[in-house]
Amino acid sequence: MTYINQYQYYANSGNAPEDENWGSYQYVSLQDIVNNFMLMYQGNHELINNVNRFQILFYAKRGIQELNYDAMKEIKILQLDVGANLRFILPYDYVNWVRISQFRNGVLYPLTENIQTNWSSAYLQDNNSNILFDQDGNALSPQDSQVDLSRGKAGIYLNSNSVFHNQPGVCLDGCWYFEYAIGARFGLNTETANINPTFKIDKKAGVINFSSLGDYSSIVLEYVSDGMEGGDDSKISVNKLFEDYIYAFIKYSILNNRLGAQEYIVNRARKDKASLLRNAKIRLSNIHPGRLLMNLRGQNKLIK
Amino acid sequence: MAVANKNNYGYISPQDFNLYCLQAQMDIFEDYFYQYNNWINRENARSSGQGYADIVKGLEEVIDTFSTTAYLAQPNANLNNNYNLPADYYLINKLFYYPTLKVSGTTTLTNANQLIDSTQLFTSTVAVGDLITNTTDNTSAYITAIVSDTVLTISADIMAVGETYSIYNQYNITEVERVNQNKIFYLTSSKLTYPTTQYPAYVLGGASSNVAAGPNSFVGNTITVYPSTITQGGAIQAQYIRYPLPPQWTYLNTSGNDPIFNPADPLYQNFELPASDEPNLVAKILQYIGVEIREGEVYQFGATEENLDTQETS
Repeated sequence: MTYINQYQYYANSGNAPEDENWGSYQYVSLQDIVNNFMLMYQGNHELINNVNRFQILFYAKRGIQELNYDAMKEIKILQLDVGANLRFILPYDYVNWVRISQFRNGVLYPLTENIQTNWSSAYLQDNNSNILFDQDGNALSPQDSQVDLSRGKAGIYLNSNSVFHNQPGVCLDGCWYFEYAIGARFGLNTETANINPTFKIDKKAGVINFSSLGDYSSIVLEYVSDGMEGGDDSKISVNKLFEDYIYAFIKYSILNNRLGAQEYIVNRARKDKASLLRNAKIRLSNIHPGRLLMNLRGQNKLIK
Repeated sequence: MAVANKNNYGYISPQDFNLYCLQAQMDIFEDYFYQYNNWINRENARSSGQGYADIVKGLEEVIDTFSTTAYLAQPNANLNNNYNLPADYYLINKLFYYPTLKVSGTTTLTNANQLIDSTQLFTSTVAVGDLITNTTDNTSAYITAIVSDTVLTISADIMAVGETYSIYNQYNITEVERVNQNKIFYLTSSKLTYPTTQYPAYVLGGASSNVAAGPNSFVGNTITVYPSTITQGGAIQAQYIRYPLPPQWTYLNTSGNDPIFNPADPLYQNFELPASDEPNLVAKILQYIGVEIREGEVYQFGATEENLDTQETS
C-alpha cells in the first residue's frame, strides 16, 4: 500500500464523499497494524512465533479500545432533541460520557449529574403492600414506577422575587405547585439547586434521564466510544502517536499469556508498553512553548 | 544399479527400481522439513551462520522449488463457501482471497494467449495486471494488455471458446487464515475477531466433506471459508508445497536382453531433488535393493553412506 496523493487527500479523487480522506494522515489503520506486526514482530527468529493472526487482531483491537476510553481523547458528540419522557437514548457506540449540555438560545449549558436516583423499577402491590404475582410466579410490574412518574417534576423553585424562592415544589406543565413550606433549610442540595436541569444515566436501560428540560429539549452529549466503528474493520484506526504503543501492547499481551515465557521477557514487554503509553500521552497533550507562554504571562498577577 | 549388479547377477526390475526411487525421494523430501525446523532452532541458538553458512536458506530454496499456486475449485455447483484443495498438496502454506470481482463471462472465440468475449467492455472494466481465473478448468493468468473492448492479451494460454472465466482486481488481496475446527465457532461468535472479508478464515473439511466421487476424488480435502459470504468461484487461491512427482525410469524392451533406458519416453520423469542429494538418494535406494536381493553388503553400504551423510550435514 502506498501513501495517497494530494488529489486523493483533498478531493477523494473526485469521488463522493469528498472529505473521505481529510485528516487521515494522523491515523494508522488496523490493517496496517496487523500486517506490520505479523511482518516485524512474529516469526522464527522473534520473541513471538506460532501465533494466529486472529490473536494479533484481537489484541490490536483491545489496545485500540483501551486507548479510546481515555488516552486518545477521541471525543464523539451527538445532539438530539428529547421528548416529553425526558429520556435521551444513549448512542449505539456509547461507552462513557464526558459532558452533557443543554443547547439553549445558541449557548451550551453544561448540566450536572444528580447522584440521587431519578428512575426505578417497581412491582404492583395490593393495599397491604403485598407484591402481586402472575400465574407463572413472576412479580407484576407497572410500566413506570412512582419515581419515574414524579421525575423531573419535583425540584427547588428559584426566583428571588417570589415568596416560594428556594422552596421545594412540583412543576407540572410549566406551573409550580407547593404543598408546604419547609422551615429554614440548613444546607442546600447544590446538585439540584441549579437553574439548569440535572441528569442521571440509567446504564442498563441505555438512557439518560433528565429532571426537567422546560421548553429547551435539545441535548448535546459528548462521549467516548471504543473505536470499533460498528464492526467495520476497514475503518478502525489509531493515532500515529500511539502506533508503537499498540505494537508493544500486542507483544506484551501475547507474551504475558504464553506458556514458558521467561518473567524477565514479560517484564521487559510490560515496561516497554507502559513507557510508550506515557510518551504518547505526553506527545498528544501538545505541551509546547506557545501554550506555556500564554499561561506564564499571568504569573505576576495578584490573586485576589 | 551398478552397485546392485556387483556379482553380475543382473539388475532388479524397472518396476521395483521405480518404486524404490519413489520411496527414497519421498523420504528425503519429508526430511527437508524436519531439517528446516532443526536448523531454525540451531540458528536461534547461534550455532548457524549466514552467507555460505546459511543452511536454512539452502533448505528454503529446495523446499520453494516445490512451491506452486492454484485456484481452488468448488465441490458443487451451488457456489457455497466450500472449496477443494489441490490433489497434489503436501502442505498448504497460504490461502489468498481476491475480494473484488470485476468481470465474469464466457469466452466466445479461441485465440492463443488471448481472452475473447464479444459481450464485454474490457477497456472500461479491467486493468493490466488483473487476475483471470478460468473457472471451467481452474487455471489462471494475468492480463498483460487490453487489446480492445472484447479482447485481452493474457500471460498464459488458458482460455478456449465456451469456457467460463472471472477477472479479479489485483489489489486488496487478503490472506485466509487457517483455524482449527475446535476454534472456529468461538471465532465466528466473537465480536472482535469474527472473520470478515478483510480477515477471512478457513477450516479444513473432514471425512464428512461431500466431494466428487470417483478415481480422482479427494474426500476430506475441502475447506470451508468464513465469512460464508465468500462464495465466488475462483476467488480463493492457494500457495502450497506439492509432492514431488514420482520418478519413472522408462526403458525400451529388447528381446532377450536387458531393458534399455529411454529418456525420450513421454512418461519419463527424473528425480526432482537437487543434484546435491544424489549420494543420499543412491544410499537409500541401495538399502531397499539390498533387502530385495538379499545382499547384506549392498544394504550395509547404503546404510553406512547415509549415516556418513547425516553426520556431515547435521
